[in-house]
Amino acid sequence: MAEITHYANKSILILDDMPEARSSLRSQVGMLGFERIAVSGNVKDALEQVRKSHFDIILSDYYLGEGADGQQFLEYLRTRGVIGRGVLFVMVTAEKRYESVVTAAECLPDDYLLKPFTSEVLKLRLGRLLEKKRRLANVDQLQDKGDWAGVVATCDRIIEAGDRYMVDAMRIKGNALLAAGRLDEAVVFYQLMLLERPLPWARLGLARALHQRGEHEESKKTLGELIAEAPQLMAAYDLLGKAHVASGDHDAALAVLDSACKISPNSLARHRAVANVAEEKGDFRRVEQAMDRVVKKTRNSPLRETRDIARLGNALTEVGEPARAVSLIGEALTNFKSDAEDPMLAAVETVAQHKAGNPDKAQAALARALRGDPGKLPAPAAMAVAKACLTAGRQDEAQGILRQLVQTHHEATDLHSRVTTMLREHGAGAIADTLVADSVGEIIRLNNDAVKVAKEGNLAQAATMLTEAAQRLPGNMQVVANAATALLFEVLHNGVDAAKLRQAQAFQKAVQAQAPRHPKLAEIAELLVMVRDKYTAAGQ
Amino acid sequence: MDFADLAALGIHDVKNRLAALAVRADARGDGETLRDAMDAAASLSRLLAVYKDDQGRLAPAIDARVPADLLEELTAETARMTPLAIEAELAAAPGVGYYDEGMLRMVLQNAVHNALRHARSRIVLAARAGDGGLEFSVRDDGPGYPPEMLGAPLAMHPASREGSGLGLYLAARVAALHASGARRGRVELANDGGAVFRIFLP
Repeated sequence: MAEITHYANKSILILDDMPEARSSLRSQVGMLGFERIAVSGNVKDALEQVRKSHFDIILSDYYLGEGADGQQFLEYLRTRGVIGRGVLFVMVTAEKRYESVVTAAECLPDDYLLKPFTSEVLKLRLGRLLEKKRRLANVDQLQDKGDWAGVVATCDRIIEAGDRYMVDAMRIKGNALLAAGRLDEAVVFYQLMLLERPLPWARLGLARALHQRGEHEESKKTLGELIAEAPQLMAAYDLLGKAHVASGDHDAALAVLDSACKISPNSLARHRAVANVAEEKGDFRRVEQAMDRVVKKTRNSPLRETRDIARLGNALTEVGEPARAVSLIGEALTNFKSDAEDPMLAAVETVAQHKAGNPDKAQAALARALRGDPGKLPAPAAMAVAKACLTAGRQDEAQGILRQLVQTHHEATDLHSRVTTMLREHGAGAIADTLVADSVGEIIRLNNDAVKVAKEGNLAQAATMLTEAAQRLPGNMQVVANAATALLFEVLHNGVDAAKLRQAQAFQKAVQAQAPRHPKLAEIAELLVMVRDKYTAAGQ
Repeated sequence: MDFADLAALGIHDVKNRLAALAVRADARGDGETLRDAMDAAASLSRLLAVYKDDQGRLAPAIDARVPADLLEELTAETARMTPLAIEAELAAAPGVGYYDEGMLRMVLQNAVHNALRHARSRIVLAARAGDGGLEFSVRDDGPGYPPEMLGAPLAMHPASREGSGLGLYLAARVAALHASGARRGRVELANDGGAVFRIFLP
């Protein structure tokens, strides 16, 4: 049979907690001609296998017994970048009811297979899915590069061809328009789609575009219709929650997310979303409830995240139960040695120990929290470390961390107001107002100065200024992207400099890794092509 | 845990066993056992779907699908279960149709299993565009439906040629749940050289 050669070079991982189901699936894929078959009975083992070797296809049951389910496994793999766009993930279920109970499109499996299915169906399905991956490989690459104009153009060609991938191309095109910030085009595109057929994803896309344009009322209206029509689509609740938060109505946001939790009680993402809103509102009882569920659900699972423990510990401290926070963190540190390396957890412990009346232990925890470079931490961890410093009376360190945090996220006004609130709550009201304004002002000035210097013709100086800033604030994507652009401009005008070219490409890589949808990536890619064209011709 | 939850777990367990049974039968080319196992599992799925419908929770997840793919899969799967000829007519099939694929699979599987019981030699599955929508049909060359079943059985209650009759009832429900604007789907039963089952989706 032809299909034997077809699958012989493909590797497949089967994940099912039931031994009988596992051997069943194994024998089915064996009949299709797969030779590289790995089998796993639990998420922990599967995760190890996926990390160790590459699989083309993952065939996972939805039910995996105690602990994580197939959807949580997939969300973990995709959000952590353990598997790329190119890996096929097929969810096997005995019932259909789990479809669309998913937050983000990238966390959707490539397909669902409803048990029982015959080997014939499995063969047809896998064949088609692999064919689709091949056909859309080009689009995937452009997406990975963040070349949204390229994605839109390629999708337009597929849509024009009107073949079976037309609708996939439409979906991707809509996302690309949103990612590129071409919001007006996105609105028109989705509205036209909806005239043809009120597909849930098109309605969601329209709501996203309206949300990004700041039209929250319109967006809410669209989402209301969508939820009435497709109550299983979790992403709609998430966006509606965000819309409510954006218009300052945290209670409405919590109500929306609660109803989503009822429909999808197993989704960790949903409980974490509730905690996010409750944290912002300062309702730490709610944070505690939500995070307690997440921590319990993942206690002995490989999907356990140290950050969840930290958030729960923080909430317990905030509601006046630091002793419980201390024992929670103590348990984590005993059972998971690597948790001792986590600065956020150490920061939360600092505050908890302090409030529980153990200043020595608080000191020890703070020392662990400050062991690394706080400037490299993600925002929530940096905030926690700053808070620990403030609690321990180490004002200067706290201010240093917060200044860098604000400069790294100089456009995140919600973060800025959290920084201000935190400083006020810790008796640093005097600098609370100036710290944010000064830090942001510095970045804006830097960008303006660089532009001015460049316009005056001093491209080298502009590039140097931005490169220095980017090295100081590696998390500020705008600064890093501008540095890459400035370096490339300089090279383009002043001649090839291998070190500068390498630096520009390193900045480009950093943006691709941290913000794959950054609007400047397309310009950087174009500049690189121009640089290459100019200097390859000259024999470089 | 109430009875509904226990029942759902039980159904889940039985379906898993039936799946394993189906795979073993399929592997040794035992079409008859394969068919029985698939049919039994399908019967449980219908039961669950009717229960969900009663609870008002049977909501279709309509998306753009390829009708030819669905029919190709059904044909390939059924061919392993029967010596009868089974074909898909796809010449008039639209490239893309809008429906809940899981639901349509359940409905068409049921229609095919009914046809398997009555066909003499041949079953034809077809998809075609028309009347601003999509029509799937399953046609056999058997004795046809009894006259009292013909037409558009909209208020269909459990009663049919055989079995519990949940199949046709669910088919009508699934069709009705597929709406586009003011238009709803429908099921039609006809005799034309054998039984013809049609489901029309707007």
